[in-house]
Amino acid sequence: MLDSLSAWLALNIGEQASSWFDYFTNGKHLAWYASVRFTLLAAVFGALLAVVFGVLGAAARRAGFAPLRWLGLGYTTMVRGIPDVLVFLFFPLAFEQTVEWFMSRRLCSAEELATAVNWPPCSAAQWYLSTTEYLIMACVSLGIVYGAFAANVVHGAMNSVPKGQLEAARAYGFSSRQIFWNFQVRQMWVYALPGLSNVWMLLLKATSFLSLLQIADIVQWADRLGAPNYSSRVGLVHPDWRWKYYFVLFLFYILLAILSERVFAWLQRRASRGLALHGEH
Amino acid sequence: MDWLLDNALVQDIIELARPSLFNIYFALASIPIGFPLAVLLAVMKNSSNGIISRVARIYIYAFRGSPLFIQFFMFYSIMLAFNLSHWKPMGIAHIVMHPLFIGPMVLILNTSAYAAEIFYGALRTLPKGEVEAAMAFGMNRRQIFRTVTWPNMIRLAWPAYTNEVVFLFHATALVYFTLPVINGQKDIMNKAGELFERDYNIFLHFGVAGLYFLVISMFIFFVSGRIYKRLMRHIGTDPTTRLKLAPNYMR
Repeated sequence: MLDSLSAWLALNIGEQASSWFDYFTNGKHLAWYASVRFTLLAAVFGALLAVVFGVLGAAARRAGFAPLRWLGLGYTTMVRGIPDVLVFLFFPLAFEQTVEWFMSRRLCSAEELATAVNWPPCSAAQWYLSTTEYLIMACVSLGIVYGAFAANVVHGAMNSVPKGQLEAARAYGFSSRQIFWNFQVRQMWVYALPGLSNVWMLLLKATSFLSLLQIADIVQWADRLGAPNYSSRVGLVHPDWRWKYYFVLFLFYILLAILSERVFAWLQRRASRGLALHGEH
Repeated sequence: MDWLLDNALVQDIIELARPSLFNIYFALASIPIGFPLAVLLAVMKNSSNGIISRVARIYIYAFRGSPLFIQFFMFYSIMLAFNLSHWKPMGIAHIVMHPLFIGPMVLILNTSAYAAEIFYGALRTLPKGEVEAAMAFGMNRRQIFRTVTWPNMIRLAWPAYTNEVVFLFHATALVYFTLPVINGQKDIMNKAGELFERDYNIFLHFGVAGLYFLVISMFIFFVSGRIYKRLMRHIGTDPTTRLKLAPNYMR
């Protein structure tokens, strides 16, 4: 199909258009376009996990059991002191290490374990991760990092739920667990939405880190495609065009931000139907 | 004394001390230029002139809407593209291609957009009565800015700006993921990565790296809290005006 389109362009518009079309639809470029899926998958599943971790973190922060409360507080405070990229890299690498440690206990001989200088102690315990596995870990990692941001948002939103609603629920004889999940968590979303939209924007931008986990994402492909390109047939196809490819990514992320803003504005309008919120009539 | 120095944790803390100076350098080099640029952009965005306001709006949106990671790659490759044609003939290649120059440059462009949005938000919530009183006194625009707009803006924006400074410091962790390391000038993340490659003890090395960021962030919050107290000293010791360390997560 691409070939026939190219031929049509050559006939109707000119050789120039056809050759540009061929350039932008060559195998490497198609791989680049396809790699957008990693970014979007990581953003969507990372965000879903972030909401789950956010609700759990906020729930832990108001738990009756003190150590759980401290854990929640520590989790939500973490993002204030430690860069996201450090946490993002830490969890996948730490998980990989932990698995390899258990595998080495089972698979390596005693003397290998005692004398090993390198990691893992024997090659049988080495865990080679596929792109899919790295992507899953990246999603979990994004979920953990931005779950801490989301927990702060959710914690604030839970406090915004009108007290009367909770008191009415208590008066009806609901248990405190029911009040928490069925009233407080149910009703907080509309208050949490503006904050969560902020967290989504942060998370979207953090999907550019995927290449740090050896995933061939849009950033890595942009680097490969932009590097000076020689071919035996034509010689120098193009000099260093990396900045052009990165500029495209720059625009791509801005476009995603504009789109997300629209979607969240729509969600906010939908969620606040029938609610007398502050500042509205 | 030796048992203390042989301790792996202490060793890591010593090894990461010099790299942490590079992170501090990147943040310190970016703030003095990023701050006035942000104020300028905020005033521009608040301007009644449509073109000026739109330019600032687009700039702020672009730099807040795209990842810093991409911005680093983009500006580094732009600088590379100009290297042979411009920087080399001008004889400034060794300066402008150095990470210690490009790092702060990109961070300034980035942080000025985030901080401008904060200052713009503050400008929108200035107490109207004070501005009107100044106008009634017959002050000109410059006097109004100096005596009413500026002090109010700084006070309103200070807690959020503190957050931005901490996030800027965290963002310095990205510099050497994109720029080349020259003469062993490594930052915390880079050094932690190198230590990790040596013995694969991620819990220790990344833990200590995180500790460095945590301690320095807390120090920034502490200093900023003192400054905030001074800025708000005419308000009195109302506990609600104390700097809360998590006012918003607008970054």
